[in-house]
Amino acid sequence: MCDCCSSEKDIYLPELATITKAEMMNQTEMFMHLEFDSGKELGHQAGQFVEVSIAGIGEAPISVSSSPQQKGFEMVIRNVGRLTNAIHGLKAGDKLGIRGPYGSGYPVDELKGKDLVFICGGIGLVPQRSLINYVVSNKDEYGKIVILQGTKEYEQRIYTEDLKKWDDIDGVTVLETIDVAHDSWKGNVGVVTTLIPKIEVDLTAAMNLVCGPPIMYKFVLMALQEKKVSHDNIFVNLERRMKCGVGKCGHCQMNDQYVCQTGPVYRYSELASVPEAI
Amino acid sequence: MSIKKLSKDVFKSFVDALIASDQQVIGVKEKVQAKGNRFAFDNLQSADQLRLDYDITLLPPKKYMLPQDETLLTFKVAGESKSKIDNSKLILIGVHPYDMIAINQMDELFSQDQQDNHYMTRRKNITIIACDVATPSKNVFASSMGTATVESGFDILLTDIGDAYVAQAGTDKGEKLLAKASGAVNASDDDLAKRKAIQDKNKDALNKHKLNCKPSDLPGLLEKAYDHPVWEEKAKTCYSCGSCNTTCPTCYCFDVQDQVNWDLKTGQRERSWDGCLLENFANVAGDHNFRKPREARFRHRLYRKGKYVPTKIGGQIACVGCGRCINGCIPDIANPVAVYNRILEDIKPD
Amino acid sequence: MSKPRVAIFDFACCEGCQLQIVNLEEEILDLISVVDVVEWREAMSEQSEEYDIAIIEGSITRPEDEERIKDIRSKAKVLIAIGACATMGGLNKLKNNFQDLEEVKKCVYKDSASMPHLETSMTKAVDEVVPVDFKVHGCPIEKEDFARIIRSLLLGKTPEVPNYPVCVECKKKENVCRWEYGEICLGPIIRAGCGAKCPSASYRCFGCRGYVDNPNVDAAVDVMDKYGLTVDQLKSKMVLFGSKQGPTL
Repeated sequence: MCDCCSSEKDIYLPELATITKAEMMNQTEMFMHLEFDSGKELGHQAGQFVEVSIAGIGEAPISVSSSPQQKGFEMVIRNVGRLTNAIHGLKAGDKLGIRGPYGSGYPVDELKGKDLVFICGGIGLVPQRSLINYVVSNKDEYGKIVILQGTKEYEQRIYTEDLKKWDDIDGVTVLETIDVAHDSWKGNVGVVTTLIPKIEVDLTAAMNLVCGPPIMYKFVLMALQEKKVSHDNIFVNLERRMKCGVGKCGHCQMNDQYVCQTGPVYRYSELASVPEAI
Repeated sequence: MSIKKLSKDVFKSFVDALIASDQQVIGVKEKVQAKGNRFAFDNLQSADQLRLDYDITLLPPKKYMLPQDETLLTFKVAGESKSKIDNSKLILIGVHPYDMIAINQMDELFSQDQQDNHYMTRRKNITIIACDVATPSKNVFASSMGTATVESGFDILLTDIGDAYVAQAGTDKGEKLLAKASGAVNASDDDLAKRKAIQDKNKDALNKHKLNCKPSDLPGLLEKAYDHPVWEEKAKTCYSCGSCNTTCPTCYCFDVQDQVNWDLKTGQRERSWDGCLLENFANVAGDHNFRKPREARFRHRLYRKGKYVPTKIGGQIACVGCGRCINGCIPDIANPVAVYNRILEDIKPD
Repeated sequence: MSKPRVAIFDFACCEGCQLQIVNLEEEILDLISVVDVVEWREAMSEQSEEYDIAIIEGSITRPEDEERIKDIRSKAKVLIAIGACATMGGLNKLKNNFQDLEEVKKCVYKDSASMPHLETSMTKAVDEVVPVDFKVHGCPIEKEDFARIIRSLLLGKTPEVPNYPVCVECKKKENVCRWEYGEICLGPIIRAGCGAKCPSASYRCFGCRGYVDNPNVDAAVDVMDKYGLTVDQLKSKMVLFGSKQGPTL
C-alpha cells in the first residue's frame, strides 16, 4: 500500500495463507487445510465463507468447512471454474490469497438445547460440516443430531470418513443416500428427501439445517412443509456469486438482501419477502 | 459560508487560473464526435471550453470516483498483492444537482460497513464545483424526484443569473477556493433573489416525465408490485444491453478480473463497471444463472432504485431523475417514471 | 519448462487477422519471449510439423481444406480460431446464401470459373469441421484482445469472453448512440470485446463478433417500428456477418 494511506485498510487486498494439507476426496472435490502466513487465526463462525484467490487467475467465495475451534481452517473445493481448476493444481506448501471471513454464520447459541437435523445435498455438506464439527464436539449442549446426506453418484460422495465417525458418536445419526444406484452401494437409493421418513426425531421441534444445490431446496422445503415444520425452525445456506464479499459489487444480491452480508445462512422465515432466494 | 457573485469575466479568469495551477481541472465540454449538442466531462485546457449551459452529460461524473476500469491491486502471479490507490487531485466543474445527489449517495454506499478506499480516496481528492441546471435535458425528471436542486455535497455551487454566477461555498475547501477568485464580490440580496427564482423554477421545470406519486411512496408501492404485468410488458423488448446501468449515476455494481503481463509473472486485479441487466450478472461457477429471465433483471434495477438501495441510504430513492437511462435505451423501455406510473394505474401507494 | 510451440495457419481469409498480430509491433518480442513460433507464413519462412498450439485464421471453403485442418487438429494440443472467418464463417459465408455454387463461381470468376483451383464448397467455420478450444472474435481481431487471450492461456486459465453486447463498451466510451443518427447499429445484439471500435469511430456496429448468447430477436420488430424502419432493412444489415453463421462460443 502506498505511504500516504498505509494506515487505511484495503478491503480488496487478500492476505496470503499457506496450504498445509491438500488431498483429493473424490474425482472433483479437493480438501485443504490452510494457515495464515502472519500466524493469525481466521476467527470465523460456522457457516461463514472466505474470498479465495490466486493472483492472476481470480477470486471466488468458498465456505469454511472446519470448526471455529481448531487451528487453521479447512475448505473443500469443487473444480467448477477458472479459479477452482487452478486450485486443484496446488499442493501443500503453495499459497492462496484469503479475504474474510464474511457473511453471517449459524446462530450456534440459538440452536442450543434443540435437536438438529442437517439435510445436505452433494457439497452442501461442506459449509454444514463446520457447524456439525462444532456441535458434535459440544454435544452436551445440543439434543439429538441427525445428518442426512444425499449425493448424486456413488463416486461423488465426500467426507465419508467424517460421516462414519459422526455416526459412531452417541446421539448422532447419519443417514446417507445416493440418487443413482451403484453396485458397491448397499444403502438407500433416491433423493435426499427419501430419508426424511426414516428419522425418529420430531422435525417440528428440531432445527432443520438445509444446504445443497438450488434445485434441492424446493423439494426439501416442500417435504418439510408436509411435516408441518415451522419456517422459523428451518435454516438454509444459499449459494450466490459473492464476488466482493463486502456488500458493494451487487452480484450476490437477491431482492434487497446482499447474501455476502446477511447470508449465506438464513432462517427460512426471514426469506418470506425474498422471492429470489429459493 | 460565503456567497459571492462572479461576473462572467471574473469566473473565466478564475477557471483559467485553476487550469494554470497544478491540479487537473475537469469540466463539461462539447463532445467532439457529436454535432455540437452533446456533452461530456473531460479535461479542460481553457475556460472557453467550459459549457455550463449544457443540458446533460453522456456519462455522469461518477466516472471520476468510480472509473469505468481501474486497477485495484498489482500482484505477483500466485503470490503477494499490493493495493493501488489513486491519489491524484482534481477539480470537477459543472456537476448538476441530480448528479451531486447521486455522488452523495455513492459516498454513503462506499463508506458504510466496510469502507472502499479506492473510491473514498478518489472522492476526497476531488473538489466539486456544482452548478444549477440552465438548460433542461429532453428526458430529465429531477423535479419529480426532488433532486432538481441540491443542498450539500458540493464544495462550491454556481448559479447562472444572466450576467454573472452566484457562487456559494459549501465546505471549507470550497470557501478557500472561492477566496482565490479575484474580483468576486459578496452577492447582493438582488443576486440571491435571482438565484432563488432560478432554483424555484427548476424545482418544477426539470420534469419531462411526471411521476404520479411522491418519491417516498415508491418503496411502499413496489412492496405490492412484484408480480405486476409491467415487468414482462416492458422487458419483452429489452436487449439486456445494460445501457440503463452503464449511464446511471447511482449504479455502482462492478466486476473484478485479473490480467497478467507478458512476463506471465506480474499482473493487475482490475475492477470495471457491471450491470444487473446483463445476462450473466447473477451467474455462479458451473453456469447457474440466479436471475435468468429478462423481466427479472429488468425488475431488479427498478426495485434497486425504488426500494432496495433506499434501505441502505436512509430512505433516499436511488433514482435521481437525470433521464440518462431513457436517452440510452433503444427500445425505449427504461424510463422509471413510465414504469412506476404504469404500476400506479393498478395499485395505490400506502 | 520449454516454451510452447505455436504455429499460425491461414485458410480462406484476407490475412488481416495475422496482420493484426504483426501490428503488435514491439509486443511481438514479448510474445516470442513466452512462445516459440515455429510456423507463420505471413511473417517467416520456416515451417514445422511439430507444434503445441495451432492458431487458425480463415474459414473452410474447399474439400482439401477440410483434410488440412483435420491434420492440423491431430497435431495440435490446443487449437485457437482467430477472426470472424475462422470463428463463425465470416464474410465467406455470404455465398452460403446461394443454392448453386456453380452460379456463384461464374458470377465471381466469369470465364475462369472452371479452373481447378477455384473448386469451392459451402463455407464452414473451423468448429464445423474440427473441435476448437478457444476463439478470438472480430473482423479483424483486436490485437489487445488476442494478446490478452494468449497470455491467459499461457497461464493455464480459460480466457474471459464477454457475453454482453457492444453497447456496454460503447456507453463506457461516452459515444453518442448510432441509433440517434438513424443508423441500424447492431451493437445491442453483438458480443462485446472490441471496445466498441466502430461506433467510437462514428460507424455503426457491423456485427463482426457474432451474436451474444441470447440476443433478443423479439425486440427487433418493435424497435424497427419505433424508428420508422423495417425488419427487412435490419436483415439487410445483418447479411454481412449475421447470415448462416455458426454459434460464437
